[in-house]
Amino acid sequence: MNPVLAADITLPHINYGAIAPILILLGMACVGVLAEAFLPRTLRYPVQVLVSLVAQVAGLATIIGLALSNYAKKPTLTAGDALAVDGPGLFLQGAVLVLGIVATLLIAERSVERGGAFVAQAAVTAGSEADAEQARRQPSQTEIFPLSLFALGGMMLFVSANDLLTMFVALEVFSLPLYLMCALARRRRLLSQEAAVKYFLLGAFSSAFFVYGIAMLYGFAGSVKFHDIAVAAISSGKSDLLMFIGLAMLAIGLLFKAAAVPFHVWTPDVYQGAPTPVTALMASCTKVAAFGGILRIFYVAFLDSRWDWRPVIGVIAVLTMVIGAILAVTQTDIKRLLAYSSIANAGYVLTGVLAMQKDGISSSLFYLVTYGFTVLAAFGLVTLVRDQDGEATHLSRWAGLGRKAPVLAGVFTFLMLSFAGIPLTSGFTGKFAVFSAALGGGQTTLVIFGVLSSVLLAFPYLRVVVLMYLQEPAADAPTVAVPGALTSAALAIGAIVTLLLGVWPSVLLDVANSAAQFVG
Amino acid sequence: MTHVLAHPLAGQVLALASPGAMGTGEKVAFWVLGIIALGCAIAMVAARNAMHSALFLVVTMFCLGIFYIIQAGPFIGMAQIIVYTGAIMMLFLFVLMLVGRDVSDSLIETLRGQRTAGILVGLGLAGLLGGGIARALGSIDAKGLEQANATHGGNVPGLAALMFTRYVFAFEVTSALLITAAVGAMILAHVQRNGEKKTQKEQSRERFAEGNHPAPKAGPGVFAHSNSVATPAILPDGTRSARSISPLVEPRELTAEDTRPKDTLTGGGNQ
Repeated sequence: MNPVLAADITLPHINYGAIAPILILLGMACVGVLAEAFLPRTLRYPVQVLVSLVAQVAGLATIIGLALSNYAKKPTLTAGDALAVDGPGLFLQGAVLVLGIVATLLIAERSVERGGAFVAQAAVTAGSEADAEQARRQPSQTEIFPLSLFALGGMMLFVSANDLLTMFVALEVFSLPLYLMCALARRRRLLSQEAAVKYFLLGAFSSAFFVYGIAMLYGFAGSVKFHDIAVAAISSGKSDLLMFIGLAMLAIGLLFKAAAVPFHVWTPDVYQGAPTPVTALMASCTKVAAFGGILRIFYVAFLDSRWDWRPVIGVIAVLTMVIGAILAVTQTDIKRLLAYSSIANAGYVLTGVLAMQKDGISSSLFYLVTYGFTVLAAFGLVTLVRDQDGEATHLSRWAGLGRKAPVLAGVFTFLMLSFAGIPLTSGFTGKFAVFSAALGGGQTTLVIFGVLSSVLLAFPYLRVVVLMYLQEPAADAPTVAVPGALTSAALAIGAIVTLLLGVWPSVLLDVANSAAQFVG
Repeated sequence: MTHVLAHPLAGQVLALASPGAMGTGEKVAFWVLGIIALGCAIAMVAARNAMHSALFLVVTMFCLGIFYIIQAGPFIGMAQIIVYTGAIMMLFLFVLMLVGRDVSDSLIETLRGQRTAGILVGLGLAGLLGGGIARALGSIDAKGLEQANATHGGNVPGLAALMFTRYVFAFEVTSALLITAAVGAMILAHVQRNGEKKTQKEQSRERFAEGNHPAPKAGPGVFAHSNSVATPAILPDGTRSARSISPLVEPRELTAEDTRPKDTLTGGGNQ
């Protein structure tokens, strides 16, 4: 053993202030796990909700502080260049947290379904007597809160990782809690467990592709840092083939998380089977994180080779928009409809990403936030329409809801109009932003397909609206639960932001514009 | 599958690229172990019994571990053998034993032609990747790990240097992953028992307590027209015994067709 060994390793400087938001989330998640271990059962729920919300609000405050103290203008790398603190990173971290807070409100709701939307003990055999007993009496387990904090912390790390290895660890850190949370539904537990196993197996498979891609890129560039890969793309004497194999494998891993066609097959099953608040979290926050990773990889590591790969990803974007929209038309379940709509929306964001210039970044960031708020509110409303079996998600059960619950139907109609891209909603401004960025980037074909698919996608949305208002309610029509304070808050935030960003988009678009500069 | 397959492929290409750097012993070891690793990888996917699959995987991972050692990476090689082959796969075998080693996969294809299509696509992908990597690495002289190992005075110190400098954050964040895994295992596997378990004496007392039938419950279908599990037994006094059917099964009213005497001696049927 070399005696001078200890001397020649120097720990890299870690700028703890700049990465504080991530540390707060992960640290508070550990506090949550400890609370779960040491607190009496009755205290756990209020403490966990408090810890969860405090962590996210504190993280958000720190991010705003960092943004105001000019980290967005003067980006830095820290922890041995493993983490980038730059405009898009901070914006995406903030977006994950803002959406995460709203999703946490939905997760914490306990009055719509008595005891909450999650199972008390996931290990009890589904369908057994003990299961029926716990579904009636026992409140939800509270491990869901530390798990969601870990997931959010992992997403924040994912969008600011500056090398592939850190990005991979972050991918796993945010995926693993999501796999678990999918399995914890209180009702229809077999569906929920099936969803979790599906998501876990396919997710593990896509992670394997991601790692394989990292190996190829390491072979190509001799480094896993994005900057080094970008340099090697210009100056390396090695065959480009290695880089493109690596990029293809990386893209498979990332597009899987973003639910782009043809890597989308898990989405409808998982969105349908998972507890609806978790589905809301996945549809909003995971999408932000996945596209954060895609943006950083494409714009930092592979910017100079874009002429080679852009057509391929363009084809994927077209497929995603068109197939997502077509399959959405055929759905009869509201959760599956929203799942296919989220696939199509991944295509719209990808269109913005492929603009490959500054307003491509800012419009994608903007779109992710607008879509996140709308989809959170939509899934929040889905939790309210219930019959004795839990949520009534079949579309035929929604017939005539406009008469029974005019407020709910009104808000849902507004959200559907936003998804359809009607002016004065954030769906319109978001689509306008990504399509105009793509036009500016010379992606006219993508925009044509995008507009066509939005027209197509308007049909299933408007069909739900027609169903709610113009059809007679069935005799055994589901009831509409009165939302508790937490769900009401989440719904109000979602709907108000959808309206606000529709009439006054510049309030967020300006922030996104000033943030749209990656550090390499 | 391609993941497992591609390792030997990549190794082969590397070895071909720098023939000068490869001694006879290394060549012999590579070809012998390479064939074993590849064969076992294929057998792992093809085996019907989960137990056999796991054992084939053990062999494949063991061979890979030796490859790593041959390629001047003793630490990762030993970690592969001790941690993966030794610990994780043995745990895996324990789990399989607990679940029941007779449990083999159902071989019914829910989508017709799925397996054939899967094999074809898998072979296509393997060919594409193998061909691509062979072309990409054809002109490269493999350097080996000697220089990298020498920088910090050995393979393990070199790994430590990387882990605690450039990748220190990734290394630390892995702890979040481990905590999540532990919490997840608890959530999915732990059942809290409410109250004390009854002792045999207490159960016996309860059985002979006032107002309880000490005899075994009547089985479903006893003295009834049908032996379906959904048909309650008819007690000697003519009442139906709710105790004879599982509370999870809905008691079913029998139709006239169900209760019609069926002449089983002459072969039954309609007449």
